[in-house]
Amino acid sequence: MSSNGLICFTNCLLPQEDGTFVEKDLWIDETRGVILDAQKTFFLRRERPDKIIDLGGNILSPGLIDIQINGGYGFDFSVYEDNDGAYMDGLRLVAERIVETGVTALVPTLITQEKSLYPKLLNLLKPWSPPNAAHLLGWHAEGPFIQMAKRGAHAPPFLLNAAEGFKSFETIYGQDNLADAEDWLMSCGLTQDALGVRIITAAPEVDGVMSAINEFAKRGGCFSIGHSIATTDMATTAVRRGARLITHLFNAMPQLHHRDPSIIGLLGSSPFFASGATYTPFPVSTAAHSKKPSNSDTTGTPPKKAAHASEAFDEIETPPQTPVLLATQRVQAQDDKATLPGTGAITPLPLSRSATYVGGQVEPLQRPYFELIVDGIHAHPNSVRLAYTAYPEGCILITDAMKILDPHLKDGVHPWRDGRNFVKEGDKLYLEGTTTLAGSVVTLDKCVRNFAHFTGCSLAESIKCATFNPARCLGIENRKGTLRAGADADLVILDRQGNVISTWIRGKVVWGKK
Amino acid sequence: MRLIIRDDSAAVGDYIANYICKRINEFNPTAEKPFVLGLPTGSSPIATYKALIKLVKDDKLSFKNVITFNMDEYVGLPRDHSESYHTFMFREFFSHIDIPPSQVNILDGNAKDLIAECNSYEQRIKSFGGIELFLGGIGEDGHIAFNEPGSSLASRTRIKTLAYDTILANARFFENDVSKVPRMALTVGVATVLDSREVVVVVTGQRKALALSKAIEEGVNHLWTLSALQMHPWALIVTDEDATAELHVKTVKYFKSIERVQDEVEARQAELRAHGEATQQVGSME
Repeated sequence: MSSNGLICFTNCLLPQEDGTFVEKDLWIDETRGVILDAQKTFFLRRERPDKIIDLGGNILSPGLIDIQINGGYGFDFSVYEDNDGAYMDGLRLVAERIVETGVTALVPTLITQEKSLYPKLLNLLKPWSPPNAAHLLGWHAEGPFIQMAKRGAHAPPFLLNAAEGFKSFETIYGQDNLADAEDWLMSCGLTQDALGVRIITAAPEVDGVMSAINEFAKRGGCFSIGHSIATTDMATTAVRRGARLITHLFNAMPQLHHRDPSIIGLLGSSPFFASGATYTPFPVSTAAHSKKPSNSDTTGTPPKKAAHASEAFDEIETPPQTPVLLATQRVQAQDDKATLPGTGAITPLPLSRSATYVGGQVEPLQRPYFELIVDGIHAHPNSVRLAYTAYPEGCILITDAMKILDPHLKDGVHPWRDGRNFVKEGDKLYLEGTTTLAGSVVTLDKCVRNFAHFTGCSLAESIKCATFNPARCLGIENRKGTLRAGADADLVILDRQGNVISTWIRGKVVWGKK
Repeated sequence: MRLIIRDDSAAVGDYIANYICKRINEFNPTAEKPFVLGLPTGSSPIATYKALIKLVKDDKLSFKNVITFNMDEYVGLPRDHSESYHTFMFREFFSHIDIPPSQVNILDGNAKDLIAECNSYEQRIKSFGGIELFLGGIGEDGHIAFNEPGSSLASRTRIKTLAYDTILANARFFENDVSKVPRMALTVGVATVLDSREVVVVVTGQRKALALSKAIEEGVNHLWTLSALQMHPWALIVTDEDATAELHVKTVKYFKSIERVQDEVEARQAELRAHGEATQQVGSME
């Protein structure tokens, strides 16, 4: 403990919000648990830290933020066993242990549940900061309003449509849980300056979902497009209505087709549409569309096949191959046309690069953030790089990890559930006796290292994708994912290879490498 | 006056830092009898600050019992503006050394009553018994602190209008936009600097060569305010080879010879002190 409660970290590299490192000191107040404006502290408070910590040239980063994680250390956020106490203990366990992976804040994620469970589980997933543990920021509800054909491991009988729009959302998730951000925080017993995060992953093409997006966004929620077969038009409409995020890009969605790039195509949102231009895509392929699914194929009964798979994987085949919907089905895009700025105006052609969309002056559409699982399995390194270079500012690294996440788990055979075993081989998990991948067990610090290797970006840029970008997506970048003065002193010290050396929560060290 | 010539600005910085370190350590400052140090901003002293920081990190020097007074500050520029002298001093020096914040004095360019601020600054300096050593730099027009050409050589701490040359030179720090450069500053006066017991000035780079020649090869002149140093009994200018470009060969040779003599005398004096036979500072041999 420093005698005046202030600590100076020196001899370290600080990742900046622009994706660079600077060699600079960082001052924190360990009593209040916040990062200080060092110069103001010196000249106005007339204080300087009594305690100086020399980091030996290592990296001092904001703590990592995982906005999609299903569980870890044996606890599954989606499993409730008749006992609030046990569930809270499970949450606490994950929050306490996960700090060894550099994570200081996470958004526990629920896969699709039987509908009566939602109000209870979401109510338990209030923002919570157990002592000496990572912050639990709120909840991420993945489902039940998702596409049958892209459901991954979500249980088919539980999938729903939202025929009544936002009202259906309220019915399922619980009215209190979807209240205005301020009211919701108050109902959680928190003040309005507390942080709380609510994310819903849903498929915009599922009946009623599109019309619910706007209201959810207005109430401070983060709508994420995922487990969906939306066309690019539909996905664009969803974004115009307030969708901010794409759930595990490339997984559980149609693959990039050049004539209808679907959800992935949002990363390339063309300025051509900024002036309200319309575009009728050439039919993708008659062969594919001769197999166009009937409603029951896309939203009805799934093929009967074991679904022991990663939440994000399409373990089942989802015929026909991408894209599933005809791109010419401009369902709901039409009604938004009138609201487009400059409809009918002729956009002058830019004469210099700085005036173009590439230079960032004319944004046709605020492109959504997108999540990537960078375990080298869920997306090829080339795909990871492709997405990142398309829109670096939007890239968010997630683990989407299962409850078996535990960096101490040895390779070999381990019991899973229903009397079955899985085989762990590095970051790969197979069901015993099969080649079926059983999900993600990668840690977020490893994703950060992988990402730098896969994309060729610097470690600072990679760190930004697991700190500042997720924080900005969730609107909490003044407090988390940053080294700005006034932000929470949630920090991770990494060596220059990106390995975690120690983790700090609100100014106190909570984990250190032995 | 003495002139010390080193190869480049890094060597100049090392020389001055070691010199100041020696002076502070010989002074043996305590909380009751602190060492009072005057400090400049600008590009010239950065090498000196770097070298001083290293001495502190190596435990050869401490600022625990040092009081500092800065020369100047812009008027009306927010204290945390990236170009304010508060920001400069914190970034380049104070954040890296062990000085207690309460011992740092910088003029407040945002004070309501600027004149009162200047007068109280002079008072504060006096209250510590005056400045022991004032470190300074110069502008291309030979100004010391913001005492632009034409300043009174008897001036004290006051509001000062910046010369057009200085505004142009500083525009590079304000997005190359002359209109963004502050027009006024608060600065210690020439007489304030001359009042200190010792003055050390950094002069580096070819662009300062003419000013150096004007300051030491011609007479005392209020158009080259550094020349007032000729009236000071214990002044030291440390320069790199580039900045000597306008000096006569004779001048350079003369000052080089002084350095040798000074070194000899200081060595002898140190020996006496070791035997407890001398208590006085050597001062300038010039």
